Amino acid sequence: MDAPHVIVVGGGGTGGALAHDLVLRGLAVTLLERGELTSGTTGRHHGLLHSGARYAVNDPESAVECIAENRILRRIAPGSFEENGGLFVALTDEDMDYLPRFLAGCAACGIPTRELTAAEALAVEPGLNPALKAAVWVPDATMDAMRLPLRFFATAQRNGAQLRPFTEVTGLLTTGRAVTGVTLRDHLTGAEAELAADLAVNATGPWCECLAAMAGVTVPVQPSPGVLLALVGRLCDLVVNRLHMAGDGDIVVPQRRLSIVGTSAWTVTDPDDLEVPHEHVLAMYREGAKLVPAVASAAERAAWSAARPLIGAIGGAGGGGGRQLSRTFKCFDHAVTDGVEGFVTITGGKATTLRAMAEATADLVCAKLGVEAPCRTREVVLAPHTAYYTGRAA
Amino acid sequence: MMRAGLRRGDKRRLVPRWLDPHGRHLGTWAFVANRLTGLGLVVYLYLHLVILSTLLRGPEAWDGLVELFRRPVFLAFDVLLVAGLAFHGFNGLRVALVGSGLLVDRHKALLVAAGTLVGLVTLVAAVRIVG
Amino acid sequence: MSSPRTVLLKVFRYGPDDAAPRYDQFRVPAGPRTTVLDALLAIQRRQDPSLSVRHSCLHGSCGTCGMRVNGREVLACVTRLDGLGDAVVVEPLAGAAVAGDLVVDMEHVYRRLEPVGRPLLRASERAGPDGAEAAAAPGTVPVLEELERFEDCIECGLCLSACPVAGDPRFLGPAALAAAERVLEEPRGTDGRAVLGLVDDAHGAWRCHAAFECSAVCPAGVDPGGAIMRLRRRLLADRLPRLVGRYHQEVPS
Repeated sequence: MDAPHVIVVGGGGTGGALAHDLVLRGLAVTLLERGELTSGTTGRHHGLLHSGARYAVNDPESAVECIAENRILRRIAPGSFEENGGLFVALTDEDMDYLPRFLAGCAACGIPTRELTAAEALAVEPGLNPALKAAVWVPDATMDAMRLPLRFFATAQRNGAQLRPFTEVTGLLTTGRAVTGVTLRDHLTGAEAELAADLAVNATGPWCECLAAMAGVTVPVQPSPGVLLALVGRLCDLVVNRLHMAGDGDIVVPQRRLSIVGTSAWTVTDPDDLEVPHEHVLAMYREGAKLVPAVASAAERAAWSAARPLIGAIGGAGGGGGRQLSRTFKCFDHAVTDGVEGFVTITGGKATTLRAMAEATADLVCAKLGVEAPCRTREVVLAPHTAYYTGRAA
Repeated sequence: MMRAGLRRGDKRRLVPRWLDPHGRHLGTWAFVANRLTGLGLVVYLYLHLVILSTLLRGPEAWDGLVELFRRPVFLAFDVLLVAGLAFHGFNGLRVALVGSGLLVDRHKALLVAAGTLVGLVTLVAAVRIVG
Repeated sequence: MSSPRTVLLKVFRYGPDDAAPRYDQFRVPAGPRTTVLDALLAIQRRQDPSLSVRHSCLHGSCGTCGMRVNGREVLACVTRLDGLGDAVVVEPLAGAAVAGDLVVDMEHVYRRLEPVGRPLLRASERAGPDGAEAAAAPGTVPVLEELERFEDCIECGLCLSACPVAGDPRFLGPAALAAAERVLEEPRGTDGRAVLGLVDDAHGAWRCHAAFECSAVCPAGVDPGGAIMRLRRRLLADRLPRLVGRYHQEVPS
């Protein structure tokens, strides 16, 4: 009997991890991505492997997910992280007032912390603002935003998944209200085709509304872009965060010989054609320099925007443009929510939780298809990212 | 799955890749010049042997040729020859040094030095040949 | 204020079923900060959705948007149109199999890199020369000597495209040779002798002609040309004693 065929639409980190999980469970997988893999939102983030500490106080559900995945990813993708850790730095009395809540929140979420005096912090990270009052070390780490997910793609491909970048879904095939496949266009050749499947997964991140609309359903996702700034020079070796409730420009992440300052937040309806508001870029310089003074005089390498997929009502959640919405993820079985069989959406989440998002989705997919196979992605060590390129037949 | 089509992503080449000047920097110019002077010197060496072989045909033939080679166009060629030889030699020294892993960080400075020496030698040769 | 400038882009177009490539012309508005990639994506969104372009990080860190602009290898996402003139030619990397338009198959880069087995991590500058092998125990605050960072090379392939002799598919090429030199400088558990054997070849470190075009175009500060020459110094240091009858057991520095 042939294995069930699942189409994963969306070649970001979630799609890649999902293809990997499903293939390990014995399903046939085709992944379709309209551009290069990770060219949507995944490739654009600053590269932080979250410890979850940022969410420990306000979004503990997210925080717990993050620290668990932080540990798992280091185990299944060894050699893919700068494991220097991160610092949450207190600059003002207000920050110092927040410190006890922060430590308590981290402890409650199981995130290990180490309090450091200003002198201790400066010893391990000389790039810090010397006027800092205190710092807390957390197990943040740095990843390559594209190459870490690419290890999932490489492993999935090695195990038989069909990965098709530059192939865009132009419509869904339906029988009644059930989804039975997709129509697609290969952008490299211009050819159009149909592809049948037992189930299609919408893993398009902030674009998931567009694909959902093709099935006649809605998903409560709010695309929420933020500006990031890449500066020339490795101005710090550890991730440097501001010890306060989340705000603009409160993180500096080292990336090879660059330093990434982020980020801001607003909401849009169309995740393509994002603006890069100049005031936001200036805010990155200003706030980043409070943490790492060398930011102020560093040359700009690039300024860009990336859209987070935030789960929440469109047009709801008033001002603050998206910061109030949870950063957790959610699976939608459209047979249950909308009466559309054969269609599942996974959205929300963070780069750090890609494997967990995939596990939850694969559990749902297998339940719907009657496949009994446990998830093995916590243990299987991933292939090197280079295998994605060398493992393909020409 | 991506299908690889055209082998090289460039228009039909009029010149081989190494000779294409678009967007290239100083180090490549030196490499190209070394190749061209090398080829030129090989051609010259062959011609030189052919010309020397006229000695076998006796003094009249040889003297006739020498008279020909006193013409201005050939004197100019001689200066060019000296320049080519000087460049290939001095840059060759630079390539030998750098290519053995010595003074690698100074390869541009060495090129400038070589170029200066080439200029001097050519100048002296021009004065002595033409004068 | 003057009206926004427009730039003429002449973009290489090719599909695997085409007989030959062509150059399509597009006019795009160009502000002072507009990059080549911005312009290409604007074309894709508003003029010709069939144009295929690789990109991912938008800040010169992933290496996917490598292409030739007016003949020179650059990363399109950090190359501004300002200063390139009113007509800009955009072509894919040289020597690479074109999958479609500006998208190339990067297999030619990775099949050379993979045998070298370069670890992705290295000691950070602050860790100092002896920091290479010391790693912080997981979950503990590191000291300066234990700090690590990713290797500079972003595997963009600009060096291979720019190299005047990399048209020869047997040549290991600047990226792989620079990676080999890094492996020998900082082994992190890899087998140095195997890597030395790999590069000590007529199509390895000895094939380079010192044009240094690779170093001129590298967007990540790898200096592959310099790395190849340092590699040759190692090979010579390894060989010369053997020529006089003494065998070198360790990997020479």
